[in-house]
Amino acid sequence: MKKLDLRLMRMLRRSKGQFISVAVIVAVALCIYILFSTTSTNLENSVEQYYEMTNISYLTIELVRIPQGVTEDLVSIEGIRNVQGRISVDVPLEVEDDNEKVNIRLISLPDDGGDINKLFTEQKAGMGPNDNDSVILLEQFAKARNIKTGDIITPRINGRIYRLKVSGIASSSEFVYLMENEQTIMPAPEKFGVAYISEDFAQSVFGYKGSFNEMLVKTKTNVDIDDVIDSLEQKLDKYGIKKIIKLEDQLSNDILKQELDGIEMMSNIIPVMFLVVAAIIISIMLSRIVNNDRMAIGVLKALGYGNNKVLFHYIKYSLAIGLTGAVIGISVGILLAGPISRYYTVFFNIPLAGLKIEYSYIFYGMLLTCIFCTASGLLGARRVIRILPADSMRPEAPKSGKRTFIEQVTIFWKHVPFSWKMVIRNILRNKKRFAFLVLGLAMAFGINTVPLYMKDAMMSMFELQYGEYQKMDYTIQFTKPQNKNVIIDLNNLIDADKIEPRIEYPFELAKGWRNMTVNVIGVPRQTAFHKFVDMRGNVIILPNRGVFITEAIAEELNVGKGDTITIKNFIPGKKDIEIKVAGIFRQYLGANAYINIEAMEELLLEKQLITGVSIETQADLKEELKDAANISAVNSVDDMYRAFSEYMDLMLLAIGFYMLFGGILGFALIYNSTIIAISERAMEFATLRIMGFDKKDVYGMISRENFVMAGIAIIVGIPLGAGMIKGMVESFSSDIMTLPFLLSPDTFIQAAVATIFFVVIAQLATLKKIYNLDFIDALKSRIS
Amino acid sequence: MQKKVLMKVENVSKDYVMGEVTVNALRGASFEIYESEFIVILGPSGSGKSTLLNIIGGMDLPTEGKLFLGNEEINKYNDRKLTAYRRDKVGFVFQFYNLMSNLTAKENVELATEMCKNALNINEVMEAVELGHRKDHFPSQLSGGEQQRVAIARAVAKNPLMLLCDEPTGALDYKTGILVLSLLHKINQQYKKTVVIITHNMAIGDMADRVIKMGSGRIVEIKKNDAPIPPERIEW
Repeated sequence: MKKLDLRLMRMLRRSKGQFISVAVIVAVALCIYILFSTTSTNLENSVEQYYEMTNISYLTIELVRIPQGVTEDLVSIEGIRNVQGRISVDVPLEVEDDNEKVNIRLISLPDDGGDINKLFTEQKAGMGPNDNDSVILLEQFAKARNIKTGDIITPRINGRIYRLKVSGIASSSEFVYLMENEQTIMPAPEKFGVAYISEDFAQSVFGYKGSFNEMLVKTKTNVDIDDVIDSLEQKLDKYGIKKIIKLEDQLSNDILKQELDGIEMMSNIIPVMFLVVAAIIISIMLSRIVNNDRMAIGVLKALGYGNNKVLFHYIKYSLAIGLTGAVIGISVGILLAGPISRYYTVFFNIPLAGLKIEYSYIFYGMLLTCIFCTASGLLGARRVIRILPADSMRPEAPKSGKRTFIEQVTIFWKHVPFSWKMVIRNILRNKKRFAFLVLGLAMAFGINTVPLYMKDAMMSMFELQYGEYQKMDYTIQFTKPQNKNVIIDLNNLIDADKIEPRIEYPFELAKGWRNMTVNVIGVPRQTAFHKFVDMRGNVIILPNRGVFITEAIAEELNVGKGDTITIKNFIPGKKDIEIKVAGIFRQYLGANAYINIEAMEELLLEKQLITGVSIETQADLKEELKDAANISAVNSVDDMYRAFSEYMDLMLLAIGFYMLFGGILGFALIYNSTIIAISERAMEFATLRIMGFDKKDVYGMISRENFVMAGIAIIVGIPLGAGMIKGMVESFSSDIMTLPFLLSPDTFIQAAVATIFFVVIAQLATLKKIYNLDFIDALKSRIS
Repeated sequence: MQKKVLMKVENVSKDYVMGEVTVNALRGASFEIYESEFIVILGPSGSGKSTLLNIIGGMDLPTEGKLFLGNEEINKYNDRKLTAYRRDKVGFVFQFYNLMSNLTAKENVELATEMCKNALNINEVMEAVELGHRKDHFPSQLSGGEQQRVAIARAVAKNPLMLLCDEPTGALDYKTGILVLSLLHKINQQYKKTVVIITHNMAIGDMADRVIKMGSGRIVEIKKNDAPIPPERIEW
């Protein structure tokens, strides 16, 4: 080994603590990068393979009713390869506990199992229910409710309970993420399931003889899917198209893709932040080492080592830390990628397409590490070039001791105690380094704010949505539109404090070529259950005519208040209408449009018809409406709250994980900068000791500096954290969910407490070093 | 016997600008260094002797004047060429030894020879400086005299044209100092290396072939010593 490298090795061995603490940061960065980018690729491959295996539909069309014969004709449309009709209806499921509300979606399957959206079971795709009394149950639901093959399930269809035998359990590519609808926040597989029934049974029990209400379309590759949609819209207009859903907008797929994007984002952002902090520490470490090595550098140059050789000697130090960390991080990342990918596929209920190690990720990880380490090495050791061999033999001139700007303010300065004067001067003399450390610590603080914000945001999102904006206890959906008089009947049937009519239908909203299908909801103008708040926080009231839309819709359609949009009416015999956007309102979950119910009846439906009601009551409606006919769903806010709380528990785990990340960063920064400060200022501390300061005083001085730094970092970190939160809001927000951008002092106070906690820990870790400082020795050491 | 000129110093000056003051550290120095000669540059501190040595050794460039090594004009060298010059032609010995503290004696020597093409056999050199038995010790385990011998071995092993020694006995006691001087003398005789020593210790001048006396940045006198005495007989 070259002797210069040997020197490096021994140098590294002497600063083990610092070496390890920085290498750990790099290791964590690379581990996260490899782990999550590999997992993300594995999952994407698995999803793709799964979609291919089950032949997932590219378009799902919801209609009022379409004759079977028409379905078959559609294959003649250019670009369509395959079409399959089916009946899909949500019904309540009777379960042992009467208080539990469970819905099940019954979907018809052709006898041979069909060609599109084939069911998947134990590596075998495609199966069908064998007779009218049997169903195939979706795996997630069967697992969550512990239902086995041979068990009986009892859906309530049009008020009548059917006893259906579970003949098989399978999973489906269209329900990878099993969610009832866009308003559901998270999957609750024990509350909502899917069962596949035979076509005959579905047609007879739902009254769809010879027809369907849903169509699955597989288009040919290399066709413009929007052209196909246009042709389909023309051809199917008279059958009442409710929604045409592209695969990319399909609920399960959409959320799945968001989840994958989230994993990918995590694999990019966190490693870079970690590497930035590592680079800051390395450059500070190196600048100190170069300073200490001044004379050695002079000797090397006198011996005939050139600038680049000497500079590279120090950059190797940085690279050694980085590559050690990288090798460990990458190894751990590869080791974990398998189990984590598998965990995710089990969680998503899809077959794993095989584990692959992408060598390109390893390469990029290494490359990124090398770039960061070389840059930080250059930054920290660049002074090597300026050291002249002749100068380096002479003792270094003392740092210029100018008065700092604070000292100019004599009134203030006079009252500063001596020990604080030293702290302030020291900070101001190392401004650049101090700024770097503050930045790194601010980043650690910022990382802490994000999970804390997420917790608050999710909580308040739920509370705002269901405590403030929508105050009903239940919403009830009818199987088909009912006359308004049904409210009087309901009032007699149940013990309700208040009942309001509502109409909810999916319609396509359009502006020019932009369009979006959303549930349009009609509520009374003087609604007691809905509160609309505009983007500036003002309460707004529904106008007689005019529609309120959410921000997500406004963005998608590129419209603002006062613009006119088209509502395309799929109901046969009804015309499309033009309507003015009367307001844009806040809604965190789901994307909806609201219209005054009377206008909605008149413009889009029949007079006096409603599709559901909202209810305020203390009673348990689930129990009371058990036997009521014509009710397809009873949604209770309480149930949602319970599911949400469970989800929050999971969230807490993730928060702990993030806090740990921020903590590692804060710890490494403080630990290293303190160690560096001690070795740099050994002489100064020794002098103080001889003058009569004791160990505690010296320690106190360093502590003061660190806490001033932490304090400033927290102040700088507040806008930084706010920025990260903003980024989080933007990356998380979608058609389905909008995170409220709220900055509560609690978030920042908690993050500050966490940051200070880690600073204290790091501070304590350096305690021994200060106490062991031999001041006589330090005074003698002019030559290293 | 006509001695061959190794290096020619022509009217060399060096100014240091320190803030608003310009210090003329060296003014118009001219002389020649012959092959395998033993030169002692004498002078009090501040006389410009270190500056002169640094310039000869390619550690610093003159403000004015020329330095010739054969036909090569060293004062025109760029940084890269100057580095090569220091690497191949010159061996330095410093007052405070300046060894790498985390390399052993032998490794310190190897650090220097690794880059040189015609380096001498390290073990032989270690024996020559009488440190064969202590070559695996770290500097902190060696006495001052031993450390200086390692430093001399480091300079010699590169097989340079000349050895430049900056107060090599300055940090040593008398006995050890004499030992180091004998070693330098031996190297001058045995390896036929040119040795240039700078010192403020007049007594050392007695062992030199020539003594260059300096004061206030100027060469005051160049004295040829017809009968140099062996270092063992020097006293101070």
